[in-house]
Amino acid sequence: MSQPVTPRRTTRASTSAPDSPSSPPKSRSKPSPRRQLLAAAAPDSPSSPPKSRPKPSPRRQLLAAAAPVPDSPSSPTKSRPKSSHKRQLPTAAAVPESPSSPTKPRPKSSHKRPPHAADEPTDDNPLAALLESLPGRRAQARDLLRLLAPAPALPVLLHGGAATGKTRALLLALRHLRPTPRLVYAALRSLPSPRALFASILAQLRAALSSSSTSSRQRVPDKPSDFVPALRDALAGVVSQGENVYLVFDNLEVVRGWDKGGQLVSLLLRLHDLLRLPQVVLVYVSSAAPDAYYTMTGSVEPNHVYFPDYTVDEVHGILMRGQPNPKLYSSFLGVVLKPLFRVTRRVDELAAVLEPLFRRYCEPLGSLNGVPDEAIRRRLFEHLQPHLTVALNETFSVPIRASLDDCKDGISGGKGSVKRQFGGRDGLSSELEFHMSVSAKYLLLSAFLASRNPATLDAALFDATGGTDSRNRKRKSSQASIDRKDTMAEELLMKGPGTFPLERLLAIFQCITSVSEDMLDEVECEDTIMGGSGMNALMSDVLLQLSTLCNSNFLSKSRSCPLEGSGRYRSNIDEDLALKVARSVSFPLSKYMYRR
Amino acid sequence: MAAAAAPVANQAQAVLRGRLCDPAFVHSPLRSSPDTNYSKLKYLVDSSVSEACNNSVLLLGPRGCGKGAVLDMVLEDLKKEHPDAISVIRLNGMLHSDDNCATKEIARQLCLEHQLSFSKMASSDDNTDFMIDMLRECGLAHKTVIFVLEEFDLFAQGKQRLLYSLLDAMQTLTSQAVVIGISCRLDADQLLEKRVRSRFSHRKLLFVPSSLDGIQRLMEHLLMLDKDSSLPKNYVTEYNSRLTSIFGNKKFKGILGSLTDADATTSNILRFLFRVVSDMDMESGLLSMECFTHALSCMQRQPKLDSLQDLSILELYILVCMNRLEDKEQNSYNFNSIMKEYRSIQDAYKTSDKYATTVCFRAFEHLLDRELITFADSKGRNVALEYRPVKLLISSRELAQSLELNTTCPAVLQKLLDRERYM
Repeated sequence: MSQPVTPRRTTRASTSAPDSPSSPPKSRSKPSPRRQLLAAAAPDSPSSPPKSRPKPSPRRQLLAAAAPVPDSPSSPTKSRPKSSHKRQLPTAAAVPESPSSPTKPRPKSSHKRPPHAADEPTDDNPLAALLESLPGRRAQARDLLRLLAPAPALPVLLHGGAATGKTRALLLALRHLRPTPRLVYAALRSLPSPRALFASILAQLRAALSSSSTSSRQRVPDKPSDFVPALRDALAGVVSQGENVYLVFDNLEVVRGWDKGGQLVSLLLRLHDLLRLPQVVLVYVSSAAPDAYYTMTGSVEPNHVYFPDYTVDEVHGILMRGQPNPKLYSSFLGVVLKPLFRVTRRVDELAAVLEPLFRRYCEPLGSLNGVPDEAIRRRLFEHLQPHLTVALNETFSVPIRASLDDCKDGISGGKGSVKRQFGGRDGLSSELEFHMSVSAKYLLLSAFLASRNPATLDAALFDATGGTDSRNRKRKSSQASIDRKDTMAEELLMKGPGTFPLERLLAIFQCITSVSEDMLDEVECEDTIMGGSGMNALMSDVLLQLSTLCNSNFLSKSRSCPLEGSGRYRSNIDEDLALKVARSVSFPLSKYMYRR
Repeated sequence: MAAAAAPVANQAQAVLRGRLCDPAFVHSPLRSSPDTNYSKLKYLVDSSVSEACNNSVLLLGPRGCGKGAVLDMVLEDLKKEHPDAISVIRLNGMLHSDDNCATKEIARQLCLEHQLSFSKMASSDDNTDFMIDMLRECGLAHKTVIFVLEEFDLFAQGKQRLLYSLLDAMQTLTSQAVVIGISCRLDADQLLEKRVRSRFSHRKLLFVPSSLDGIQRLMEHLLMLDKDSSLPKNYVTEYNSRLTSIFGNKKFKGILGSLTDADATTSNILRFLFRVVSDMDMESGLLSMECFTHALSCMQRQPKLDSLQDLSILELYILVCMNRLEDKEQNSYNFNSIMKEYRSIQDAYKTSDKYATTVCFRAFEHLLDRELITFADSKGRNVALEYRPVKLLISSRELAQSLELNTTCPAVLQKLLDRERYM
């Protein structure tokens, strides 16, 4: 059965290999690994001829890639009969060209990747090509193929940490199967509700059936009781065409967080029992271990395939793939990989850190083509050493460049991390000056003070004399017993910044702006002319600024208290950032902070 | 010879996989043996069909013991014996636990069964009336309606209106129906309301995992190839003799023992055998002892320990810090307290693994992702992650074990863990 298909596939692959390999990752600005995978699986990756087709969404692309598309225009061989043509996989070439794909993100080098010897699939062994494209996943790929292979199969659950190649191994393994099965793929992370999930699955199945039933406008079931019969009907239709269907649920773990997610998970895990169609194989992919589902499973617990994290050697191998100068990169990895590996074992994160480091590493070199000898290596290492220690202590860096695009990048990156409170600090602080008005900065500072200082001390701190009573304050705190201080410190550590009402924030804001009014006059002279007094100009849009700060997650607003009516706020920034902001407006923040 | 063996092996594997995925085949030996749940259930349903009476029964037992499969076999046989006298209505508690939904589904299936047109717009009351009318009509025509309620316990949530109207309709003389509930809760009949329970005939059939002998017989039934199949004769004889020698092996008994100690349900056995068959040597098409041992090791993985092996050194440090905090009986702690502990360790031991807070926080998030730790409170979404209290999801024994197995783990870490254990 597989005899007529295999040779053609490989010859097609080898003909298209030279022009396609490096183009998909290069043409996109910064694709996330998963997107890249989908793109690699798609039939019209940028290198393929048909350009006129409207761009399908990634998920659809994947579907189109895995599902047999009737007479794809990219197929060069027209000699084969129509019937077998239909079963042909349009992107068989994607299998051998996989090194350019994502689960093993390479540092993006601007150099053309020379065709790797192993990229050329051997004519007689597609299995070897498959295993070659899944480095470090040999055992898992074999297990998968065995468990999935001929059609009647029990459900399979793939589990393992993030970035261990679960989805990729699965999709490549499914593509490896002959005859090509019908793949229905639901990435639950991108489907926000059960209804969307049902709609997506049924749409994929109906697309497979489109030749027979053209009624595209069918109601989308929103209840499981409607969905399961509809699914059974659709699947039975596809199965009756003589195809095997692989129903893949990716990111199963996110469903648990959905509203009534527990019920849906148990439904999905019991689909095998509910459907009773032996030609339908259910595959689940989850980053949570199977014991997370024990409370929800039904009678058929799936067979597990565990994907462990890559070991150092495997990561080394993965990162080495497609390097223009393997010797140089290998010596670089020899220096860098071990220390970084102590911090994180995720390939995607390592690749992100390694890319700028490698550029640093190469700086002293004139050309990138030479083979480094021992002396050069030592020199390069010494050059790299300080940067390495920096890289070990940051999660990501934002390049400081003047262009607008980069600024935007920095801000979006910063926002994401401010949400998590950490990480953004290094990148954000350097960009801060350009993006925040003075009044917003003062507002941020006053919010910080309101969150950190106890409300009872406000009067002492912000009385008529301004911040001059620091001596007094210090004496007070030293009188407190050491025990109480400890518990207070503990409490602060546990409870985090306090909340405060809007009135207090405004009062503090007014106080600290009045203290540094002379400074303000210099900074805000234009406003002074326009608004009459600097104070007024600063106060005018303060509520607007406040909502901006809330939206960008510098402050968070809790739900309003039923007694007081108005909402309470909390500052999300930490002391380092607050100090940096204070320095930028030369405000003596430390004078106003209550130290225990 | 080897080239010819490969397709034979494929063929044999396909046969075996087909068997394992077919519940009817798995439970078929029950047909021939007397005094099983199959024969009891069949007698019960058969008599109520032939004597035109109402009946109800619960099939109880843990998941994966073949309740559904046995019922399917019984219904299939009865349909053959009494053609046109039986119509089966299937409901599943997971899908139809809502009363309105269930009555609608019953009406739909009744319509389908009797070639009536089903109106989607009918109200719940209409559907209930329709169902009662249909029951009467079927009774008059001496046709038995069999209601199969899978996940019976889920129907017992809420007001149990469906169960009441079903069982109440069966109290009339004209109707002729059997209600069969399937549940994995052994106390399913205790969940019923009084008015429902009094209308329920308390027949229960208990399904239990089979004995060790039964399992071995089941395995033989599933794995032994037929002499008169399409496969070559000499291959079948060799395959079967190989298998018999494996079954007689002492090591195999050990494997079987450790498998059934954990879970002796039929579904677990099927999963195990499925792995065994998938591991078949495709050159020769024979099963070997290694297939069985490998399958067992796959079944006995411990996900928590596996994922502990995947941690980086920094992530292990954080776990050890958390473990120390728990041993200090600090009842609640968050990322900040963990960092305090981490700093104090780093200051005391001056290791090279001292990283910035941001990096530690990323490692902390990885641990959250892996579900080795979790937030201790469910609320407090407004509070930043670093202030939310957390707790360990692994025991200190598991942690110690994984540190021992980890070859790259620094000695300090183990010392830190041991120290506080014996202090």
